Amino acid sequence: MPNLKELKNRISSVKSTRKITSAMKMVAASKLRRAQDLAESSRVYADSLSFILSSLAGNTKNSSDLPEILTGRENSKISLLIINSSDRGLCGGFNSNLFRNAKNWISEQQEKGKSVKIITVGKKASSFYRKTDLDVISNFDDLNSNDKQLQVSEEIKNKIMELFENNEIDEVSILFNKFVSVITQEPTYQSLIPLSNEEADEEVTDTSNAVFEFEPDKNELLEYLVPRNFLTQIYRSVLESSASEHAARMTSMDNATRNAGDMIDGLTLTYNRTRQAFITKELIEIISGAEAV
Amino acid sequence: MINLKVVSPQKVIFEKEVEMAVLPGAEGDFAAMPNHSPFISSLRPGQMVIMSANKVDESFFVSGGLVMLKEKVCEVLVDQIESLSDVNSSNYQQSKTFQELEGNDTALGTFEQVVNNPPYK
Repeated sequence: MPNLKELKNRISSVKSTRKITSAMKMVAASKLRRAQDLAESSRVYADSLSFILSSLAGNTKNSSDLPEILTGRENSKISLLIINSSDRGLCGGFNSNLFRNAKNWISEQQEKGKSVKIITVGKKASSFYRKTDLDVISNFDDLNSNDKQLQVSEEIKNKIMELFENNEIDEVSILFNKFVSVITQEPTYQSLIPLSNEEADEEVTDTSNAVFEFEPDKNELLEYLVPRNFLTQIYRSVLESSASEHAARMTSMDNATRNAGDMIDGLTLTYNRTRQAFITKELIEIISGAEAV
Repeated sequence: MINLKVVSPQKVIFEKEVEMAVLPGAEGDFAAMPNHSPFISSLRPGQMVIMSANKVDESFFVSGGLVMLKEKVCEVLVDQIESLSDVNSSNYQQSKTFQELEGNDTALGTFEQVVNNPPYK
């Protein structure tokens, strides 16, 4: 028969766990709203920028006129992957999904004969990849404020521009958890070098009726636009990832709170049964003692 | 009227119908008005003004960016923007833009110039 004292302790410990998880859930919910707002309001800028870039690139007939940093190098050998993880745990499968996905991608690249370098964002990724034999170029963490997110994006942008110019990398992709809804986050790749034209394709109809004049000339504009586009895309992925993180944490903490509730119910039931059994046992002892006299 | 939309990397700063907006293009100031030919330009640091009936309605400092001009829409992608109605020559050193532009000599110089002696008054 379980010990009453032990059961009582167990119940109170699960109760305090439930308090913590439900508090974390509420914190995540309020942070999620802010992160989601940020991700959505930054989308306007990112969309306009990629529209401008694609109409600029689309305007140039001969793609060999475009700089390498847009079109990518032929025979690319070295891919860089930027992995957006979280700084903290307790957010369900958020990070493990991402790392599993990255692992597949990396082995795919290696099969193609490319070597892979990595930039990690968030403490979870940096501690995960430290243990592997992959080439981690740099880590960025503590992305706890919006200013910091922007600053980190800027640093990453400078880093990739420098690496590309020194021929240390030929391709760049970002991996992040895309915020689909509060319950779904999808690990997503986005190619920075070469420039992915997904969005360009969608807006072809829009560009066709407006032929833009450019000032200063295209090459000078591209020089300004390309780094700006990297920054915006990286910043956007960081924001998406942070919205996804809070959403994932909210869902998993909600589940944890519910599980704790179920557990408390079960334990309370056992506790009451055991208590009742003890009382019955004591009564029987008293009665049989009295009968014996 | 032309729809003027000013956007920073973080958010949409404002969006409204204006008669005319003068922007500091990389190769000279230009005015955005309805039915302008489609045009994309980068911006140099300088003053952006919204005008109606040949008078300056609102005045801003922009630290650089891009502008995309279509028939009825003018989209301005700015790096930093500050309304000049609450910044003047005595308090500009406390302004957000001043602090953020530190280390960027050309933009900061232009900012000081625009605050002290705006090209459009």
